[in-house]
Amino acid sequence: MEFLATLTTLLLFFSLYLILKHYYLKLYTNCYLIDYVCFKPASDRRITTQTSGQIIERNKTLGLSEYKFLLKVIVNSGIGEDTYGPRNIIEGREDSPTFDDAMIEMDEFLNVSIGDLFAKTKISPRDVDVLVVNISMFSPAPSLASRILKRYKMREDCKIYNLSGMGCSASLVSVDLVRNIFKSGKKTLAVVVTSESITPNWYSGNDKSMMLGNCLFRSGGCVMLLTNNPAMRSRAKMILKCLVRTHIGANDDAHNCAMQKEDDVGRVGFHLSKGLPKAAVRAFAENLKHLAPKILPYRELALYMYGTVKQLVIKPKLESNSAMARINFKSGVDHFCLHTGGSAVIEAVGRALGLSKYDVEPARMTLHRWGNTSASSLWYVLGYMEAKRRLRKGDRVLMISFGAGFKCNSCMWEVNEDLQDGDVWEDCIKNYPPQTLVNPYLEKYGWVNEDTEETFNREERMESLKW
Amino acid sequence: MANEPSPQFLSSVRLKYVKLGYQYLVNHIMTLLLIPVIIAISVELARVGPDEILSLVRFLYDLDLIYTMSTVFLVIIAGTVYFMSRPRPVYLVDYACFRPPPNFRVPFSTFLEHARLVPQFDERTVRFQVRILERSGLGEETCLPPANHYIPPTCSMEAARGEAELVIFSAIDELLNKTGMRPKNIDILIVNCSLFSPTPSLSAMVVNKYKLRSNIMSFNLSGMGCSAGLISIDLARDLLQAHGNSNALVLSTEIITPNYYLGKERAMLLPNCLFRMGAAAVLLSNCHRQKNRAKYRLTHVVRTHKGADDAAYKCVFQEQDSEGITGINLSKDLMAIAGDALKSNITTMGPLVLPASEQLLFLFSLIARKVFKAEWKPYIPDFRMAFEHFCIHAGGRAVIDELQKNLQLSDRHVEASRMALHRFGNTSSSSLWYELNYIEAKGRMRKGDRVWMIGFGSGFKCNSAVWKCLKTVQTPVEGPWSTCIHRYPVDVPAMVKVL
Repeated sequence: MEFLATLTTLLLFFSLYLILKHYYLKLYTNCYLIDYVCFKPASDRRITTQTSGQIIERNKTLGLSEYKFLLKVIVNSGIGEDTYGPRNIIEGREDSPTFDDAMIEMDEFLNVSIGDLFAKTKISPRDVDVLVVNISMFSPAPSLASRILKRYKMREDCKIYNLSGMGCSASLVSVDLVRNIFKSGKKTLAVVVTSESITPNWYSGNDKSMMLGNCLFRSGGCVMLLTNNPAMRSRAKMILKCLVRTHIGANDDAHNCAMQKEDDVGRVGFHLSKGLPKAAVRAFAENLKHLAPKILPYRELALYMYGTVKQLVIKPKLESNSAMARINFKSGVDHFCLHTGGSAVIEAVGRALGLSKYDVEPARMTLHRWGNTSASSLWYVLGYMEAKRRLRKGDRVLMISFGAGFKCNSCMWEVNEDLQDGDVWEDCIKNYPPQTLVNPYLEKYGWVNEDTEETFNREERMESLKW
Repeated sequence: MANEPSPQFLSSVRLKYVKLGYQYLVNHIMTLLLIPVIIAISVELARVGPDEILSLVRFLYDLDLIYTMSTVFLVIIAGTVYFMSRPRPVYLVDYACFRPPPNFRVPFSTFLEHARLVPQFDERTVRFQVRILERSGLGEETCLPPANHYIPPTCSMEAARGEAELVIFSAIDELLNKTGMRPKNIDILIVNCSLFSPTPSLSAMVVNKYKLRSNIMSFNLSGMGCSAGLISIDLARDLLQAHGNSNALVLSTEIITPNYYLGKERAMLLPNCLFRMGAAAVLLSNCHRQKNRAKYRLTHVVRTHKGADDAAYKCVFQEQDSEGITGINLSKDLMAIAGDALKSNITTMGPLVLPASEQLLFLFSLIARKVFKAEWKPYIPDFRMAFEHFCIHAGGRAVIDELQKNLQLSDRHVEASRMALHRFGNTSSSSLWYELNYIEAKGRMRKGDRVWMIGFGSGFKCNSAVWKCLKTVQTPVEGPWSTCIHRYPVDVPAMVKVL
């Protein structure tokens, strides 16, 4: 009798231990964002109206119609006077970028931001288990991930991954990679480095679809520290709730709408086709289909179901996409980090989600202050919200980004504590939002719109603009 | 007198038997200890007699039902939780390698003629390249992409995309044919190509061509060198742990077109002579259904990165030479660094795969050297006890020689690597799969065999993976070796005279 009692007790304890171990493993599947650091390039890398004018003037292949196009693009871009570019472009060598120039551009970011992150979080590089780097358009051998490992003397068994070619939504791809590694159940500390390389990708021709990239992309980057260790939860800024990736590359138009290729003369540039907005809309719709059930409260979902049923059964003549517009995303989300692809993108996404001016303000201001920094833009937007003290404990932040391929990736974070660190925005947040966003280009170069082919005389005009 | 064996031979035979006896003893120690215990219990049972056993059984029947039920219930819970928390097994369902068409061949004569006609090369440069080729261990059937056959070679993005489409799509087509996998069932896609990374990525190109699902988990690794294939396998394994019932397509390739070096720097001309076109598509799965069809199971992956050391970081380095031409610089201490990286890797790998006998021997020799300061040579564990087959990255003849020496392998063990280098050249991350295919094509792969894949790459990384064969592979094997396996192995001379 006693023997059996002992046996039962032992088995009970053992099974309790196993059940607890199983649930403890589940604990490790949370992804905590401990901290992040955005990159602020040196002030001598600023690109102003004057700099841009000089760059445009240097390209002798441009004619009047190209000038008109450029003016229209730059005026409508929403980009301000304080964005940053790579050194070789500012120094006038944009046409002949060397390998070293590209490396210098990367080193300026890697040597500063990652060190700042380690200092801020008081983590030693040797504690890092996983390093994921995503820099889309520059991929040397050995990889930039190896370069970071060497620079900071990380461990031999640190798992490094160097993602490349994945476009402007690659930072969420990196977070997805880290999130999946976290599910293995071991305590892991991960660093994600995201940026873009502009130096080797400058387009020096006159194909309009390829000049857009030159106008919009700016230097920037972000480094994040993520972990699944529940002991670090109290230090975490945000917790990842869900992440949805959508890839509509199966559609040929979507795949070809943003593509790096050679123009008619053989110069390599980034071609952005007219079908890009349509591809973005399709990808976004597909992404929302999977995202909505994960982030919206049940009440909102029930309302949507009711609306759809009513429309399909009772009034089948109405258009199908009006049902989507009736979902109120703001019921499940407090803040929106939209990819700063351009003011058109931000406006379009804002309209689709039914957002107010207050909601799109962080994205628009980020575009104005930093330009389109590609994959790292979402983190600058987040920095704006933090600097404005908008992020309170329990708030939910939705990040949406688009990228070549065509991809739409989104994720939702829950804020873990009241966030008060302005990081790179601290010194200028007081000036935002500015009184006016009118672009000084219009004033300086508006004459382009008045000229026709007959009246246009490049040399004369450029002489008159010499400062 | 001539028939009597020499004393050295006798002593070496005796030593061999001593070693065998020791290994058998240590590796089967649990069984050997258990036998006397079983004998003791049986003797005790026989002595006690059947009556007492019956009374014990009756005693159990009389117990409270609750007790028995709860015990059984707890055992079931414990068993379920234990099985649920084990890592999911990762199976290799099948793999396919790109078969280069014969019109892309670059025999030595073609290489020499082409090099002479390229305007950027002077006679010294041509002679240097050919001398490297003579000693490289490559054969006459290695292939270069069409763009590299032009005079001068066209290194445009369009040509590079063309090569990528050719090698990647044919490898994947063959894999999908072989496995009967429908593209819509692929959940994970990982593509690794070190030296060509367009936007949109090669993974997006694959998604576009095969109309993969919109919620696919795709990753495009780049710049990670010749060992990137094993990094992709490691990533696939991590993803398959996080997602059950999933299929992962891993594609390893290297695109040669944009990387033809047209300068004069000697250390940067080496890749022209060694790198050749190739690709491999691998289907991994953790679906239970695939278990019966799978060829291999992945047991271990160990990654080592020596980049913290400056010399190791710079030994395979892409840069611009003094004239501004980009190429890959291979340093002179590549071999030493590779040996060092391998040692680090096997330090981690050893305890995972070596039998207890080898580990004990290694431990004893370590203690003897460190504590007793004995002047013995460091004991190199015998990895032939842990693996039946070895796939060593066919980076070049020197790499294979160095590893053969370091691991004390016989010629037969490195035969797959040497022959893959001879027939296909250095195909970078896909070379390991050509070598595995060689072993299968030769009919040497049996159920239960363990394969060790070792890859080296820029950074400097040494990655290794261990596979266990789940079923004997029947010959003939459909693959890149189908048309030529009967001619192999060939004797690869130390030097082939061209000039």
